[in-house]
Amino acid sequence: MAPEGKSPRLPEAGQWPDRVAPAALVAGIVLTTVGFLMAFLWVPPVGGASVGGAELIGDAMVSQKLLLSQKIFYFHMPVAITSFIALVFGAWYSLRFLRTREARYDTCARIALEITLLFIALTMITGEMWTRFEWGVWWSWEPRLTTYLVLMLVVIAYFVLRGSVDEPERRAAFSAVVAIIAFIDAPICFMVTRLIPSSIHPVVLREGGMSPEMGLCVAVVAAGMLCVAFALYRARFRQVRLAQRVEALKEELGD
Amino acid sequence: MSAAPAAIRCEGVTKAFGTRKAVDDLSLELPRGAFLSVFGPNGAGKTTLLRMIATLTRPSAGRIEVEGVDAKEEPDRAREAIGLISHNPMLYPDLTAEENLLLYARLYGVRDPGARVIELLDAVGLKHRRLDRVRTFSRGMTQRVSIARALVNDPAVVLLDEPYSGLDPHAIEVFDDLIASVRQDRTFVMVSHDLEKGLRLADHVLVMARGRAVAFDPKDELDEDEFRALYRSTVGMGVA
Amino acid sequence: MAEREKQERARRSDAPASPRSELCARPSALEQYRVLLMKDLRQELRTKEMLVSMGIYALLVIVVFGVALSFARPGADFLEVSGGLLWALVVFTSLLGLNRSFSHETENGCLEGLLLAPLDRGVVFLAKATSNLAFLAIVEVIAVPLYWVFFSSFAAPAASAPLIVVPLLLGSVGIAGIGTLLSTITASTRGKDVMLALLFVPVVFPLLYACVSATTAALAGGVLMEEAFATSLALAAGYDVVMLLASWVLYDFVVS
Repeated sequence: MAPEGKSPRLPEAGQWPDRVAPAALVAGIVLTTVGFLMAFLWVPPVGGASVGGAELIGDAMVSQKLLLSQKIFYFHMPVAITSFIALVFGAWYSLRFLRTREARYDTCARIALEITLLFIALTMITGEMWTRFEWGVWWSWEPRLTTYLVLMLVVIAYFVLRGSVDEPERRAAFSAVVAIIAFIDAPICFMVTRLIPSSIHPVVLREGGMSPEMGLCVAVVAAGMLCVAFALYRARFRQVRLAQRVEALKEELGD
Repeated sequence: MSAAPAAIRCEGVTKAFGTRKAVDDLSLELPRGAFLSVFGPNGAGKTTLLRMIATLTRPSAGRIEVEGVDAKEEPDRAREAIGLISHNPMLYPDLTAEENLLLYARLYGVRDPGARVIELLDAVGLKHRRLDRVRTFSRGMTQRVSIARALVNDPAVVLLDEPYSGLDPHAIEVFDDLIASVRQDRTFVMVSHDLEKGLRLADHVLVMARGRAVAFDPKDELDEDEFRALYRSTVGMGVA
Repeated sequence: MAEREKQERARRSDAPASPRSELCARPSALEQYRVLLMKDLRQELRTKEMLVSMGIYALLVIVVFGVALSFARPGADFLEVSGGLLWALVVFTSLLGLNRSFSHETENGCLEGLLLAPLDRGVVFLAKATSNLAFLAIVEVIAVPLYWVFFSSFAAPAASAPLIVVPLLLGSVGIAGIGTLLSTITASTRGKDVMLALLFVPVVFPLLYACVSATTAALAGGVLMEEAFATSLALAAGYDVVMLLASWVLYDFVVS
């Protein structure tokens, strides 16, 4: 019914970032693989983030162990960084949404938070492996892990909230507010758990500076992970936008 | 200053979210003292339009002026000129009628809230029940208090959003009489499903379908039979 | 009277297009805040719905704690746990209250009525947060002594125990602030009770952590008191400031 070119303002997809995405994916995979190989073959095992001497954690006596499990660190930290960067993007898009009220930013924010959740889950899994193998306990209320647990819960709540509001614009506004709150909450949470000395749990994580080799390795894996996250983001964005396009076209035809 | 700005002026008003447009490029100008009835099928954007005029929703594009005030730029000043009566009474059930009205009167900065509230309760015929909780009122009585609530700031523009839903025939009659008695020189906009009632009260009509204005006319320029036919065909278009 | 007329004329001349009726003056935000707050308090005093349900709920939580602790050995160790238990009590009770407090506004579309008035949305937020704080404070005034009565036999708290008032106050302010924002969001969602808990608990986690630390420090006294009390309070206060500001700014987007 609507004349060609005038009315159908369809959700666009497939601009330059989409063309970059496959390249980013390949680069990400290569970088991550290189990083892993570096972690296992090149970086000497150091006690950067483990217990100095012997300490009692939970019920297990933990001593300075230079196990292979330490290599988890080279995976754990980059995913943690990536998830936080994804959250920053999510909060940024939420802010843009609240200012402009454009549905596009709501979609962006939602997908950024999906990526956040994915990487937080990976962070939790690797962190869990770390505590288990390095410290011999299943869970430790260590500041970083606690922060990520809280963050994960807020992000899960974000998606539950999205599921329980029907009206699209209201859903977008509510979830944008929650995303911003999550973004503010995470650093506070880290500071609070970090700065308050806990009488029950020893501070296990010492500030052992990273050796240049470690730093390089972490940087390579982090760069790879960021590329992967970006490619995932674009792929998902494209998929959602195409679905929205189909919906919009259906509606046009229905007229 | 141009002579007598229109009571309500909409220019290219659009409310969109994504590709879904609740109201699409709607323009109209309503003179002071007019009574506009808005018709259309469910989902045509009637209520969205009304909520935008009431400053409860911001339009995505376009301009709305209420009594010469830009509702988007200066919503608070526009709000001072607006009263809204909806099927939702917007009254706290555990406060008395008087307390409810006093609350709203003070929010609007009415100079002598006590006197104004008594005057309004008298006008809607509920002065004797002013110390009773709203919870104990019948639907019709609640709706009468709701009229008083909407008039507490002596608004120049009164908006009615499906005001008849849930009222029995007698209550509807009382409601109509009340509306007629508070009409004075106020401008009214009513959204209603009831074609007959809407036509009888109105001097302007707007028919909407899928967010667009299908027809906007003063009633006296309107052939009623033709209009009914148009209305039926529009409603027949069903939900967008 | 003449004074008023003069004002009226002055107002009209500088704003010829003002649509405000002569019956009304420009409402002051402070007056609006007071009116909204009084409305909440009056409503609650009349029905006592929220206070009664929160009070009884607090008592029930204490009973559950009693069962949970019935096999614990009394001793000084208890003091390290009691701060946390007290806060569990506060969090669960406040969740109940927050859920209730906004249902009044959505019940008859009253919130819309408020939003129709020339009223800054920040004022609505502040009034609601204040009334939530007031109810929370009243319940705490009842529940904390009760808690003490039931559990003081376990261990005698340190001399610094009365200082728990400070973390309680800071915690309540934060809970009322962020809780008002979140309960406004969840009031219009499906399954709002669960939804509020889901959002509220993780968001309020840092505040809770800081307050538990400060409360425990005050109850246990000694080294812990010196070490942790001030830091925890500073962090709790920081959380309050940041979150109240954020809620206040974001509230506009939530209600419209």
